[in-house]
Amino acid sequence: MTAAATLPGAGRPRRLGKALPGAFWALILLTPAFVSLASVSFYPIVNGLYLSLTNTSLITQDQDFTGFANYVQLWGDAQFWNAWWHTIWFTAASTVLETVIGLGMALILCEAFKGRGLVRAAMLVPWAMPTVVTSKMFGWLFDGQNGIINYLLLHAGLIDQNVNWYGSPNTAMITIIIADVWKTTPFMALLLLTGLQTVPNSLIEAARMDGAKGWITFWYIRLPLLMPTLLIAGLFRALDAFRVFDLVYVLTGGGPADSTETLSTLSYKVLFSTLQFGYGSAVSTAMFITEGIIALVFVVYLIRQIRRAQ
Amino acid sequence: MTDMKKRPGADTKPVGHVTIADRRQFLIGAGTMGAAALALGTGLGIRKARAQSRAEISFASAAFFGKETFGDLIKAFNESQDRILVKNIELPPPSSSTEVYQGLVQQLARRNGTPDVFSQDVIWIAGFAAAGWALPLDEYFPADKRSAYFTGTLNACTYGGKLTALPWFMDSGMFYYRKDVLEKHGGKVPETWADMATIAAAAQKAGDIDFGYLWQGKQAEVLVCDAVEIITSNNGAILAPDGKSSLINQKGAVEAIQFLHDTIATTKISPQDVLSWDEEPSRQPFTSGKAMFMRNWSYVWPIAQDAKASQVVDKVGVAPLPSFPGGKSSACLGGYQLGVNANSKQREAAIELLTWLSSTETQQRIALNFGLAPTRPALFQDEKVKKEQPFMASLEKVFTGATARPITPEYAKVTLALQSGISKALVSGNVQAEMDALAGQINKIVG
Repeated sequence: MTAAATLPGAGRPRRLGKALPGAFWALILLTPAFVSLASVSFYPIVNGLYLSLTNTSLITQDQDFTGFANYVQLWGDAQFWNAWWHTIWFTAASTVLETVIGLGMALILCEAFKGRGLVRAAMLVPWAMPTVVTSKMFGWLFDGQNGIINYLLLHAGLIDQNVNWYGSPNTAMITIIIADVWKTTPFMALLLLTGLQTVPNSLIEAARMDGAKGWITFWYIRLPLLMPTLLIAGLFRALDAFRVFDLVYVLTGGGPADSTETLSTLSYKVLFSTLQFGYGSAVSTAMFITEGIIALVFVVYLIRQIRRAQ
Repeated sequence: MTDMKKRPGADTKPVGHVTIADRRQFLIGAGTMGAAALALGTGLGIRKARAQSRAEISFASAAFFGKETFGDLIKAFNESQDRILVKNIELPPPSSSTEVYQGLVQQLARRNGTPDVFSQDVIWIAGFAAAGWALPLDEYFPADKRSAYFTGTLNACTYGGKLTALPWFMDSGMFYYRKDVLEKHGGKVPETWADMATIAAAAQKAGDIDFGYLWQGKQAEVLVCDAVEIITSNNGAILAPDGKSSLINQKGAVEAIQFLHDTIATTKISPQDVLSWDEEPSRQPFTSGKAMFMRNWSYVWPIAQDAKASQVVDKVGVAPLPSFPGGKSSACLGGYQLGVNANSKQREAAIELLTWLSSTETQQRIALNFGLAPTRPALFQDEKVKKEQPFMASLEKVFTGATARPITPEYAKVTLALQSGISKALVSGNVQAEMDALAGQINKIVG
């Protein structure tokens, strides 16, 4: 303690002299990282924001600053809001389902049983698969004529005729959500498993000795301690789900009747099919802002959780 | 499919080219050396003349494969004369047409004259012309030269009264039918949509077939093609002739879309699944023998005749699509057409390449080696084409009805609106209301 208290006092004059070149060197060494990050991350974002304030289009060759005209148009664009709601619905439904199912899987995998290592590794297979492959696979599973899902449901007597999963606006989005849940739940389970492993065993043992049963242990000990991990995992998942593109692009192309159009597919169409870079950037910026709001909500919750824990 | 994409000649062909090219290289080398020797005595005049005499231009196209590639085609042109040297710029394959489009737009927008000559999907022609990137070709190809092409293709190549593209090769929608099933139900290929629906329903009811009629209702470009065909066959149109307003909420178009909706909802000759099907999902039940009629492109034919992939070998016929009473059969035009960059610095050379690519000889070569149908009706009577591509030769009647999709520089926006609007009408059945909304949207885009 005394050494620590005296050292800074004694060393200060000399240290100050060295500190300047030290900071200087640090800055020099950080510059390459900063420049590369700025050029691939900061510049595109700022440029995207700027583009969204212009009427840039490769076809008309316009490139004029138009202020907030694109955003005014966006506000009144029914297709944009249609896609916005679909994206929110997809994000909410898939995140909640994946969190709940993932938590269940994590709790099971946390217990000691024979072959646990193998199961943990096998569980990750869906997540490791390229999404386009998953999409094609689900395309076949839920095929309206020859799909095995229809076959099973029909023979189990749950439906009396084939359901046209991707061809009907009532079921298309739900099918895409199922595909996403299948694919990404393992990722959630993995994150939550690491969280569960940080819960001290001594606490659980103490609770058991006090007579707490499984459910009580989970509800009053594991879950509260898992909360920060849960929120961070949920945040990751929600932001990722918000960008959903491949599943929709491969399975339905946004149809039928725009019922599966999401913000990513819409901005892809506006940007790269019609080459309206100005308006397309406005759509992307709106996406960016919405994601920011989602992240903010999660972070506020998270901070409150951490404060309460302290 | 992979068999088709293989290039059987790929192993042997280049060898022949290389030897010829080597020899040529040698000759050119000898020539320039001689010229250089001469130049020592007579000044630089000759050398300059040599460099000028071989104009260098570039050609960009989506990459098609067959027994040879477009690169081989360009090589052949380079060897056929010694005034022009063409560099081939290969774009992605036609299956990635969005990427091909982006690639072309980015190059043309630079306005630096590269590529001098390019091939373009029919739906981009108006956009390129309106942007001023495509050179009007009227003075080079007057009316008498144009009459050698299909009228529908020429229309698609014309924007604002000017010919801005030269027809190259084409495809179109067509009507596939099962000969054996049709034999049981009258034996006559239906010429009106109503007859088609009646026969299909009867065959379905008799249990001869699972599905009467298959088409493509997925919210995608192909839905616009299906719509153009059926609307035009009822004397309707998507855009007014001046391209400044939409006619899609008029009687002709609404009836046609209503018919498509009815195939699922009322006459039930089509499964509800067509609403999520594009070309391949609709082709599969047909070639596995489950369907009687189908609308699709020409690529289905070789698959239908392949015993490994098809249950209906020798049982399939092809005809022009049906029409409404008082209307004419119509087939949606596809394919790639040629254009010259308006900023090309070698205009004469570019026109020469263009003329060669679209000539009878080259179109015949493309038909034989790539299986891509010519845009010159005369070639369908050509003995060699008839012998080697009998199916293609039989399509002259189908291609005569080829109709362009809406010709507007705003096509990319119009097609997205059409895909969404028509899909909504097909799903909900409120055809008139959805078409009114759609017309309003399109008017905003093109007006």
